[in-house]
Amino acid sequence: MDQVQALLQRPALYDNIDGTGELVLGLGALGFSLFGWLNLHAPAGSVWHGMYALFLFAGVMQVVIYLVHKGIKSRITYRRTGFVAYRTGKAWVVMAVAVVVSALGSAGLFMASRRHWDLSVPVLLFGLVMAALYIRMIGAVRWKWAMCSIYVAAVLAIAVLPADLVEAFANHQSISPLLTAKALGAYWLTFLAYGAVLVISGSISLWLYIHQTQAPAQEA
Amino acid sequence: MNRQIQAIAELDRVIHEPGRLMITALLFAVESADFLYLQYETDMNKGTLSSHLSRLEEAGYVEITKTYRGKVPQTLLRLSEAGRKAFAEYRRKLKQAVL
Repeated sequence: MDQVQALLQRPALYDNIDGTGELVLGLGALGFSLFGWLNLHAPAGSVWHGMYALFLFAGVMQVVIYLVHKGIKSRITYRRTGFVAYRTGKAWVVMAVAVVVSALGSAGLFMASRRHWDLSVPVLLFGLVMAALYIRMIGAVRWKWAMCSIYVAAVLAIAVLPADLVEAFANHQSISPLLTAKALGAYWLTFLAYGAVLVISGSISLWLYIHQTQAPAQEA
Repeated sequence: MNRQIQAIAELDRVIHEPGRLMITALLFAVESADFLYLQYETDMNKGTLSSHLSRLEEAGYVEITKTYRGKVPQTLLRLSEAGRKAFAEYRRKLKQAVL
């Protein structure tokens, strides 16, 4: 039964065989880190402070990431090791989980604002949740556990960095009494580390995939 | 007859063959996949894979569509409704037999 279960899980792991799963997530995280940096460090009155800038930036980033993903899949992966179309029947489960997570997150933020909690403290938990998401993609690839360990070490390091240094990354700006400069800096660094680790890990996977596979010869 | 032995006797022979079990399990987890993907995952040669797919198609478990991806010919494979039901039933019987 275990072997059958392992077979059933192989197509899901195949999605990231070329590192595109990590590249997509990593580029997204790096993109939002870049936007966060521009938003926090641009002078007052800059276009980067407008809400429309976020939507425009996210839209352009999504198109770029989609094109990178599609390009790698259609030009490299499908030609070498084949095409897979995934089932989309469980979209409602994903939606339900997203709604529950959003509701819990909102409730947490509400409680934090009522009790004047320091939101830079749960950055460690946030980082570990991100690490768990990464582990889901790793499968049985051992070297990726080293990448995950580097990320967890980075999160732990961010959690113990001096407050002044962390606040400097957020330009010593607080958005609200809840989102202090320290909290913003800590989350920004965590997101940046996540994006960097995923892009490096995805790039290594893609490089290995290209060097270890080749397209089958076309028959005349 | 013992319940476990009876469950073994009732296993679907078309699916129970190791090569075809790999194919049906892989296709069960996806909407569709092409021939190249199955060849990559199962490590079978073209002849063996084709022969297993023909057997599954005869049983009505697999639907085979010949198409093109750009200019490259592509053989798309998907598990039919009958194939999905048969595989689910096979797993249920296998659990009965081994647990």
